[in-house]
Amino acid sequence: MLRFIIRRLLITVPTILVVLTITWALVRLAPGNFYSNEKAVPAAIEKNIREKYGLDKPWYQQYWKTMRGIVRLDFGTSLKYEGESVNAIIARSLPVSATVGILAYLLALVVGIFAGSIAALHPNSKRDYASMTLAMLGISIPNFVLGPILVFVFALTLYWLPPSRWNGFFSRNLILPVLTLSGLYMAYIARLTRAGMLEVLRSDYIRTARAKGLSEWQVVTRHALRGGLLPVVSYTGPALAFLVTGTVVVERIFVLPGLGNYFIQASLNRDEPLIIGIVAFIAITLLLANLVVDIAYAYLDPRIRY
Amino acid sequence: MNDNRPKVEQAKTEVAAEPVPQYRAGDVIHTAPEFAVADADVFAVERGDAIAGTSLWRDAWRRLLKNKLAVFGMIVVVIITLVSVTGPFLIKLLTGLTPDYIPSDVSLLRSIPPFTAADGSFSWIHPMGTDNQGRDLLARVLQGGQISLMVGVIATLVSLIIGVSYGAIAGYLGGRIDNLMMRFVDVLYSLPYIIIVIVLLFLFRSATARGQVVLLFFALGSVSWLTMARIVRGQVLSLKNQEFVLAARATGVSTPRIIFRHIVPNTLGPVIVYATLTIPTVMLTEAFLSFLGFGVQPPLASWGSLVTDGIQNIGIFPWQLVFPGVTMALTLFSLNFLGDGLRDALDPQTRKQ
Repeated sequence: MLRFIIRRLLITVPTILVVLTITWALVRLAPGNFYSNEKAVPAAIEKNIREKYGLDKPWYQQYWKTMRGIVRLDFGTSLKYEGESVNAIIARSLPVSATVGILAYLLALVVGIFAGSIAALHPNSKRDYASMTLAMLGISIPNFVLGPILVFVFALTLYWLPPSRWNGFFSRNLILPVLTLSGLYMAYIARLTRAGMLEVLRSDYIRTARAKGLSEWQVVTRHALRGGLLPVVSYTGPALAFLVTGTVVVERIFVLPGLGNYFIQASLNRDEPLIIGIVAFIAITLLLANLVVDIAYAYLDPRIRY
Repeated sequence: MNDNRPKVEQAKTEVAAEPVPQYRAGDVIHTAPEFAVADADVFAVERGDAIAGTSLWRDAWRRLLKNKLAVFGMIVVVIITLVSVTGPFLIKLLTGLTPDYIPSDVSLLRSIPPFTAADGSFSWIHPMGTDNQGRDLLARVLQGGQISLMVGVIATLVSLIIGVSYGAIAGYLGGRIDNLMMRFVDVLYSLPYIIIVIVLLFLFRSATARGQVVLLFFALGSVSWLTMARIVRGQVLSLKNQEFVLAARATGVSTPRIIFRHIVPNTLGPVIVYATLTIPTVMLTEAFLSFLGFGVQPPLASWGSLVTDGIQNIGIFPWQLVFPGVTMALTLFSLNFLGDGLRDALDPQTRKQ
């Protein structure tokens, strides 16, 4: 196991460097620059700006400076939010994104596993068809359609919930963003749970558990779920990556000051340190999270050995 | 490591050493149902008829038709495609309106509700109403459908070409190369590819709307091939030790030719299934990018960009969001059901009990 972890880490580090190099090169190759958005800048001022941000140096020195900073987890200073370090922006916006993302994924897990198990326990019943059709709807309705419709119904028509904006953790403002974000994952998890449980419920050890007189509840929760949830566990890796995408949309719709919103703003502003900082941060987090998922997988499924 | 596996050149002589294919998590392993007998054949024998040869494809088609949801999906997809392609011409013939026709009468430069004329009475002229500039929403939704479907299909084709080649090469060559190639895929899997796409699309954004659509084909295609590569690799692993490959090798067929002329055609079933399921994913991604302002640019519209326009006015003109949103969701819904049905039909092992 330790060898596996070390091997994975050894492959992860160069990957992150490759991704960052590609991002860095893309930002550099693109025409235009961050300081002249619409009007031309006088030559003297342009020279000063370029000196201040080290843009007058040869490209390999700039590249080296960026990469050295990333290795030390110091992503430099934002070009647009003056005087603010990228680290400070990430530290400020990450809790927002993380709260929405984690709450949404937890909600999706609870509802998805429940609906999927019910469907698998009564295959081809009305409940099965109902939950699977709902799940397919969840997969097919894009979250930027679902979000505004929820806002229209619950905020603009019924006046039950606030339509947008951040109002601290554990506020009612979080309900609509979390619902919007979790719809897709709920649907996926329900489908995966159903497929996994159907397969497990037919296996010999479940028949044994039933034969020795365990209640149906115990058979399902103690024996079937552990095996039946393996597909859900392996989905967590990609789900985390998609969650990042999803939060970008939800933060745009509900005007939340999270990482995704800053990232879009940074791309529009060509705020190079902020773009690279956020990409680096997300890539590192996701790769580490995937490592954890793989370890959890090996723990749950004794057949898998690394 | 797995160096006991014979290299391709050696394999010509070392026929006896059959390596065990190495699967990894996530592989979809498809074993060709060589001895599968179609239900129809059994009935035919019972009736004493002569057996008509039933191909795998005809059998799958029959199974697909039994799946009501898949048939529903197929019909809806066909209808929406036909209507999107022909609709704008028909509307132009019937009413003279085009998707980008802005009325010259200033009083019409506003969003009119569905089935309403300018004076508020009932009218058939705008079944979906108009947008803020007074453009006919039905014509725009249909034209948006053309762009959305085109992006979905062409980007999927791009991902198909990359994924099938990559997976087939990795699976066929095996050993160290396979290990390295699939590790690379594992790593790409865990990256937030959408962020790379955004950087790419924003930085290389085209001056023309048409150029941007072409850029979307390649940007989306080049990030959606990972699962396809895994599926094809799993297939190739189970196919490459079969006799027909051996025969091809023995007669001296070159490696690229074996891969692309002998093995790849045999992986077609799962490839079609997964491609069908990739189309809705790509369309969703396109809509997402349009929502963020990186996708399809005006004057062209896609369902994603129409929904985005609708979101701005959700409180006052809800039809601007509802019509493109529902059309898009219905299409994705149908494509997903069709893909699921195809999978059940082409891979009897995973069929519903």
